[in-house]
Amino acid sequence: MSDPAATRHAWAAQANATAKHEHGTIHYEGAVAFGGETVHRYRLGNGLAVLVLVDASAPIVAYHTWFNVGSRHEHPGKTGLAHLFEHLMFGETEKLKAGVFDRKLEESGAETNAATWVDWTYYHELIPADRVRLAITLEAERMQHLVLREPQVASEKEVVANERRYRVDDDVEGLANELLYKTAFARHPYQWPTIGWMDDIKGFSPEDCVAFYQTYYAPNNATVVVVGDVKERALLTSIRDAYGAIPAQTIPAEDVTPEPPQVDERRLELHKPTASEKLLVAFKGPALGDADHATMTVLSEVLFGGRAARLYRSLVVEKELAIDVRGWVSTFRDPGLFECGATARGAHTVVEILPIFDDAFARVRADVVGEDELARAKARLELGSLQQLETVSGKAEQIGFFETVLGEPDHAFRRVEAYRRVTTSDLRRVARRYLVDGARTVLRVMPEPVMTTSSASAAAPP
Amino acid sequence: MTAAKARTRAGAPVASPMRFDLPGGALALLETSHDVPLVSFVVTLRCGSAVDPPGKAGLARIAMRMLRRGCEGFTSEKIDFRIDVLGAEMAVDTSHSSVAVHAQVIARNLEPFVGLVATMLSAPTFPADELERLKRESVAEIVEARDSDRVVAQKALQRTLFEGHPYSLSSGGTVPSVQNITREDVVAFYERYVVRRNIVIGIAGDVTAAKAPSIGERLLAGLREGEAAPDAVAEPTMRPGRRLLVVDKPERTQTQILVGTVGTSPHDDDHVPFVVSNAVFGGTFTSRLMKEIRSKRGWSYGASARAGVDRRRQSWVLWTFPAAEDSGPCLKLSIELMDAWVDGGVTPREIAFIQRYLVRSHAFDIDTASKRLHQGLDVECLSLPADYFSGWTDRVRAVTPESASAAVKNRLRTDDLLVVVVGTAAQVLEPLRSAVPRLSEVSVVPFDAE
Repeated sequence: MSDPAATRHAWAAQANATAKHEHGTIHYEGAVAFGGETVHRYRLGNGLAVLVLVDASAPIVAYHTWFNVGSRHEHPGKTGLAHLFEHLMFGETEKLKAGVFDRKLEESGAETNAATWVDWTYYHELIPADRVRLAITLEAERMQHLVLREPQVASEKEVVANERRYRVDDDVEGLANELLYKTAFARHPYQWPTIGWMDDIKGFSPEDCVAFYQTYYAPNNATVVVVGDVKERALLTSIRDAYGAIPAQTIPAEDVTPEPPQVDERRLELHKPTASEKLLVAFKGPALGDADHATMTVLSEVLFGGRAARLYRSLVVEKELAIDVRGWVSTFRDPGLFECGATARGAHTVVEILPIFDDAFARVRADVVGEDELARAKARLELGSLQQLETVSGKAEQIGFFETVLGEPDHAFRRVEAYRRVTTSDLRRVARRYLVDGARTVLRVMPEPVMTTSSASAAAPP
Repeated sequence: MTAAKARTRAGAPVASPMRFDLPGGALALLETSHDVPLVSFVVTLRCGSAVDPPGKAGLARIAMRMLRRGCEGFTSEKIDFRIDVLGAEMAVDTSHSSVAVHAQVIARNLEPFVGLVATMLSAPTFPADELERLKRESVAEIVEARDSDRVVAQKALQRTLFEGHPYSLSSGGTVPSVQNITREDVVAFYERYVVRRNIVIGIAGDVTAAKAPSIGERLLAGLREGEAAPDAVAEPTMRPGRRLLVVDKPERTQTQILVGTVGTSPHDDDHVPFVVSNAVFGGTFTSRLMKEIRSKRGWSYGASARAGVDRRRQSWVLWTFPAAEDSGPCLKLSIELMDAWVDGGVTPREIAFIQRYLVRSHAFDIDTASKRLHQGLDVECLSLPADYFSGWTDRVRAVTPESASAAVKNRLRTDDLLVVVVGTAAQVLEPLRSAVPRLSEVSVVPFDAE
């Protein structure tokens, strides 16, 4: 019986004999188990990583391109550049006029979009299997030949400004979240929003965009993830032919200042037109790669996840002080936040809710949680993990995200194992380590002007 | 996380779930997939909020949400804990034409979870204190939803466009209508509508065809046969004239603009040509609306047009959200684009392009068992033509530029429009008024009007 790895090595060596560019040689780097499936890792001579999972359950393919660049790579005065640039990637290239990129994909029935966050940017296509070469060709084209001129940059800045109005300026939760990170981080780039400050968005020039493109959009700073109904060798040959001529670039060393430990409690208020008061409490949390991250995620689930969680039960069901509660351990490469939130109900206030938060935090620091609560939290997290693997796009996103942030494409499964290993004493340990009263940020959102039902204003004739 | 594009999606497609007749007149549909160890099931009533009695909007949703607030042997608290510990989740989705209890569970716990849901369905206790609690929760949710300008705009449009028709009522109800619901109302709804003949069960995921009928039968055990709900909703009509409704909300930096009218019925002969033409106008990222409003002018992050599908003619809605200072010009352009589309039709090149998109993207509408199942449920519960999805791509291919243009001209009257704008009235009212020629009515209401 043949050795699958040796077969892939041999095929790559054979393919390299006819490679047109040194950059375009293919190297097989091994297989990683992904549940009951397998991810195969290849790398081109120019550094482009290619991860392939063959899934023939439907005649479709998810084609993702993950770049190791996000808002953490920006600087004050130039915030939002990674996200603006993501928009510009759908524009004109040397071979494609403006709009043609999207038209070609739509004409093939494909869906395409992109996303940017603090640590990464990724572009994705969901495309019928017999059209996957189009995605390869178009992605390779815009990795190397994007055209960045004033009219396109000016128009896209307007679009992004409108996106910011939609997601932040006219959305009280978006605004509160932005303010929370701005206050909680004093040095680290996580302090500014990925969408950028409005003044920065308006100030970008084509030169800023060209410099960003030349710095970060290189094959050796990217990972292509392909999940779906593909023929592995034909796919790799197409990728090699499309990307092989793109040279590697020198990616600058990251210039990120670590966040110093928070040793104070930072309190602030935000006054906006909103229906009710809102509370955000943020402790400094572990990095995604920290062994404590999975444990903190379980603790968050015990406190906030679902109707049977401690704080949901207390604040929403029993005391009826809140409409909802939520907790999230940020999934960032560097230490982020453990965000805890509540939306007050009616005339109830944050002043009533915060002591109940504090009591819950004190209890998990003092006592171990019940085994039944732990089992409940683990079961919910297992369900959530499985739900993310229901589609080829979901699998590609899990592989690309964990590969880009942690270098572990199979980390989704490692996390489920990590959740299973968590004990009640682990939860008390992380509670004592991270839920530190004197080192947190507390944001209170208050309705202003007072929002009460008013009578309809007079109808005006045209 | 931020994204480059607001999602626009057009089209629909093929489904042929396995069908089982269950005892007592219920129907079960099955789509299997063993890719992930999860099983989903949906218990769907063949009626929705359109059957809510006058003054009791929200009853269908409240009644079905009450199923998990207490049943034989379980308090609400015990049910919540049991659902979680089984690695399951459950939610109620209400539309005008159906109410669905969606459930999903890790496959190894399917049996005990089906048992729990069966008890909730057949032996709910409807505790009075839990009902009062749920009503207070629902009222708080209605008030909180006013934080979303988009939701405020959608509710205002639906309420005004279909005034006097059941489609005008919010499925979640209003503050007074929810407060008006009694335990007797909930019990009456349950006894009348949660009966075998009024239920379609959908099952999808890691389950075998041999096992599916027994799951369906267990879920319905204890329910009586009853009668399917009659479909008494009348066809809605469009009020003549061009109306502008400004929903006044303070401190808005942008507006939510909806231009709406009564649209298409799935039983219209020209339904598919209408939907295909609408995809050209506002159904994709390269549609006319996106090209003119976003790509050329940068006025809005998104611009789209959507034709709702229901048992009766639903709304057709154009949606965009420009900066407050661009609202007048953006609305003016939107209506000019609509006029040009309705009067001038679509070109052969546009139709050929969108046909390729709709036919080829069909693969993504049926790539999971859950999607295929929901197409089957829609056919049953929205009374769609039996081949609505299975014959979709053939009908799309058959559309011609002439049939597409005629369908839109036949169904949409640009003289009869409702424009709803959520924004700060003092800033945007006059520019908006100037943007719409031949306005017959202008009104301003506060954002918390219901």
